Amino acid sequence: MKRFTSQPLDNPARKGQPDFARADIVFYGVDHSGPSFEARIFLNNPAADLSTPREEASNFAGSFTVFGHAGCAGDAGHCEVPRGPRDPFDRRPPHPLTPQIKTVIVTEALRRVAEGKLTITVVPVRPGANGAEVVDALEFERFSLLTYA
Amino acid sequence: MSTGTVSPQQPAVALRHRLNIDSMSQTQLAAFRAAMAGAVKISDERGYNYQAGIHGLPLPTSCDIAHGHPVFLPWHRAYLYFFELTLRDLQPGVMLPWWDWTTDPAIPAAYGKATVGGKSNPLHSAKVDPLALEQGVRSGDRRAPKTFREPGAEGAPPLPTKAEIEGVLALGSFADFTHQLEQLHNNVHVWVGGDRGHMGDIQFAAFDPIFWAHHAMIDRVWRMWQLRHPQAGVPAALLNEALAPFNMTVAQTLDANALGYDYAVQVNGSSGTGG
Repeated sequence: MKRFTSQPLDNPARKGQPDFARADIVFYGVDHSGPSFEARIFLNNPAADLSTPREEASNFAGSFTVFGHAGCAGDAGHCEVPRGPRDPFDRRPPHPLTPQIKTVIVTEALRRVAEGKLTITVVPVRPGANGAEVVDALEFERFSLLTYA
Repeated sequence: MSTGTVSPQQPAVALRHRLNIDSMSQTQLAAFRAAMAGAVKISDERGYNYQAGIHGLPLPTSCDIAHGHPVFLPWHRAYLYFFELTLRDLQPGVMLPWWDWTTDPAIPAAYGKATVGGKSNPLHSAKVDPLALEQGVRSGDRRAPKTFREPGAEGAPPLPTKAEIEGVLALGSFADFTHQLEQLHNNVHVWVGGDRGHMGDIQFAAFDPIFWAHHAMIDRVWRMWQLRHPQAGVPAALLNEALAPFNMTVAQTLDANALGYDYAVQVNGSSGTGG
């Protein structure tokens, strides 16, 4: 996908919520089979796009970068990640394209948006032939916002 | 940081020191360039193409567990260790330098010049294995036959800052540390490679000579973290993991001194017989 915005979430930074020492947004099942890109994360800024600066005033919370494989060089099936339960006697290493987990520490950024509900917007950006571009390469299974005391 | 290590055979063995690329003497730099140029000319498994190809193309991809996996740091430590040995076979005394992108947020001068002394600079660019290029085309990733860079291209993430490195060094768990450091590492790859530069793509990154200096810096940050957190470490469940294609386990990479090296900001001295 080219961009992701979450549904409004309960905001753990809101007054009355338990205090936290650290907050992470964790993306599970991140695809890295395509191009490299930076996934820029904004809080409560659903209009964020390519032109939105990576700065506090834009509620920029941090980013993760996918170091991509840029396609499949093998024969048919080479880049298909095995699904389902793994044979307990299969000692081969994981498939190189096994989806990844990306954790972005957002503690201070979350504290800055302490009012109301919370949305998370992800904009995947890469350097293109004509400058920065949004890339249709952001794929993940789910995300969690975790806070720790 | 250490200067010597204990060997079963000898009471003490002097360590070798990896240096900041900007601190190398002209003699050290010339020897390093000679080793890299020599490796490029070798077409068998001692040569540059073979070593660079381990990281990505040509197939088989050998970095199954090297990225997005908790053995990212041990795998790359082994990779650098074996590559450094191949360079030392060509130029005894040579060590891989590191590029500290926090204090030198640009391509270092030693890597940036296309020619040195009227000859092409082996740190500026390298020829890519033709088989890797052919396989790249198959995957829709057509790359130039010689490596190049697009440093700081618009849309690339910024290089890591000192504060960010201090932040990851403060993390107390190995899993947390390696994950966050790998993210900063990814940023450097994309910053150097830009749109079409080789460093920005796993399959071709290691063909760019600056790859090794970038990874020496990553390895150095791990070494610094190990010294700051002597009680923390790689989870026991990972210690016996094999780091294919290298004949090493994770446990065998943990002590950089046991691999014969450390990182020094400066090494000064002279013979002990001087006046």
